[in-house]
Amino acid sequence: MTTPALQVLELNKRFGGLPATQNVSLQVMPGERRLIIGPNGAGKTTLFNLVTGDLSADSGSVKLFGQEIMDMRTPDRVQLGLARTYQILTLFPRETLLHNVVLALLGLRGLRWNPWSVLTGHRDLYELAEVALTQVGLASSASRIVSETSYGERRRLELAMALAQKPKVLLLDEPLAGLSQGERQTVRALLDKIPRDVTIIMIEHDMDTALGFAERITLLHYGEVIVEGTRAEVVADPRTREVYLGH
Amino acid sequence: MKRGNIIALIVIAICFIAVPRIIVNEFYVNLASQVLIYALFALSINMMLGYGGMVSLGHAAYLGVAGYACILLNIAGYDHLTAAVLSLLLSTAFAGLFGVLSLRAPGLGFIMITLAIGQIVWGIAYRANELTGGDNGLRLPERPRPFGVDIRDAESFYYFTLIVFAIALFFIWRFSRSAFGASLMGARDQPRRMSMLGHNVWLVRWLTFVMAGFWGSVAGILFVYYNVFLSPHAIALQQSAEILLMAILGGASTLSGPIVGAVIITLVKNVVSTYVERWNTLLGAIFVIVIIFMPYGLVPGCRQLWRRIAMKVGGRKPARGTGASAA
Repeated sequence: MTTPALQVLELNKRFGGLPATQNVSLQVMPGERRLIIGPNGAGKTTLFNLVTGDLSADSGSVKLFGQEIMDMRTPDRVQLGLARTYQILTLFPRETLLHNVVLALLGLRGLRWNPWSVLTGHRDLYELAEVALTQVGLASSASRIVSETSYGERRRLELAMALAQKPKVLLLDEPLAGLSQGERQTVRALLDKIPRDVTIIMIEHDMDTALGFAERITLLHYGEVIVEGTRAEVVADPRTREVYLGH
Repeated sequence: MKRGNIIALIVIAICFIAVPRIIVNEFYVNLASQVLIYALFALSINMMLGYGGMVSLGHAAYLGVAGYACILLNIAGYDHLTAAVLSLLLSTAFAGLFGVLSLRAPGLGFIMITLAIGQIVWGIAYRANELTGGDNGLRLPERPRPFGVDIRDAESFYYFTLIVFAIALFFIWRFSRSAFGASLMGARDQPRRMSMLGHNVWLVRWLTFVMAGFWGSVAGILFVYYNVFLSPHAIALQQSAEILLMAILGGASTLSGPIVGAVIITLVKNVVSTYVERWNTLLGAIFVIVIIFMPYGLVPGCRQLWRRIAMKVGGRKPARGTGASAA
């Protein structure tokens, strides 16, 4: 049996008295596309924050390709091939799109410690950044300032920054949120083009778009895993209907 | 670099070199040396303030540690070079410790810790009579003779200071445009995102703290060479605050801003104060006016004004660029 790309075991997190994550366990195999669904407040983003280290868990274990990462700081987890996008856009608004991607590339390079070498002298970085922007269809906007771009372009920039890092495990937190129908199709097509050596875990509300993307689905409710299985299994499960339609 | 920038740089460099030839008066040449020393203080604090978003009220501590160490080592019989190198090492190590303590708290807590540490250094200088001479201060036996050159007179000391300043400025300019500088500015704007991109935000800030401490210590040693004397008065809170104000007045996050701020404040303090008794009030007024009309400081403010005028006159589109990475 191959080692799972991401293995979460009995993860717990409480905010004061409120349990945000309760005994969550899940296994995502390399190359898999996993969808995480659940109503608002189900603990989906919290789960991402625990995996990336933005939040520290109360107990449990998170393994990346078999390696325990619970005690690592976020940047160290990133060095192992973890990347994510944010539901609430977290970009550098005063910089160009190109510079945003360069910062992403810099994060994995020793060059980031160099206080002497002028950044713009590293053409190779900028070329790689342009490649990443081309991948999401933003090549022509590379030199624009983020604050002058549209919401849809920023969403795609989020994706470009994550993809530029060539992650092994990519966490996408509502990559389609706030996009128009047309933009959704564009982003969806982008996601389909991501090579299979990247494992993707995605939180998404838009079922029409998301269902077709994932092989397996995990349903979270009140911080617990309620249902997990293939697309057909989860959709057919009565508990899914209860959570989504029962109230 | 663009051709216009290179020409501007050469003109500015010639101006700096020509200062003692234009103003022959010894008082003013000495004042020019002071401006350079304060400009270096302001540049060093701006590495943290402008590029890192870290406000420190304890920068005079480096003047204290490096300055007293340098004088004491000289008195103990070490030669100037050894004394300078050792005091720089000590003061930079101190900056490392200072940084570990300060970076435990973000924002306001950070300011308060730097303030407290600055006051501790001041308190020690003031109280440890046997070591520091207390309120009376300590006298440096004599100015150094770098490579056998006599720098006791105003003009040669100015050139000595100018050389050190130019070297420091070059390093800090590279720093501001470097890959490290980019991660520092990223950490200032979006710390959470930066760590998710693989940048170790804490370490980036700490290293900046140490580098700022190093250049602050260099300025501190120049200060001691200039005055040939150091007393607790020179490392009081007011000194830290003035250095901080210089950077803010001229425009933090620009390279030239702190220099402009240092020129204005040093001139008002030393020249205007001979004519205007309430020069402190005048300084306050200047500061308030600048902040109201140019909230980002003089250099970015004037640049914006220039762009607006250029647009009106020529109808050109303003040049794009980030304020942070501009010189």
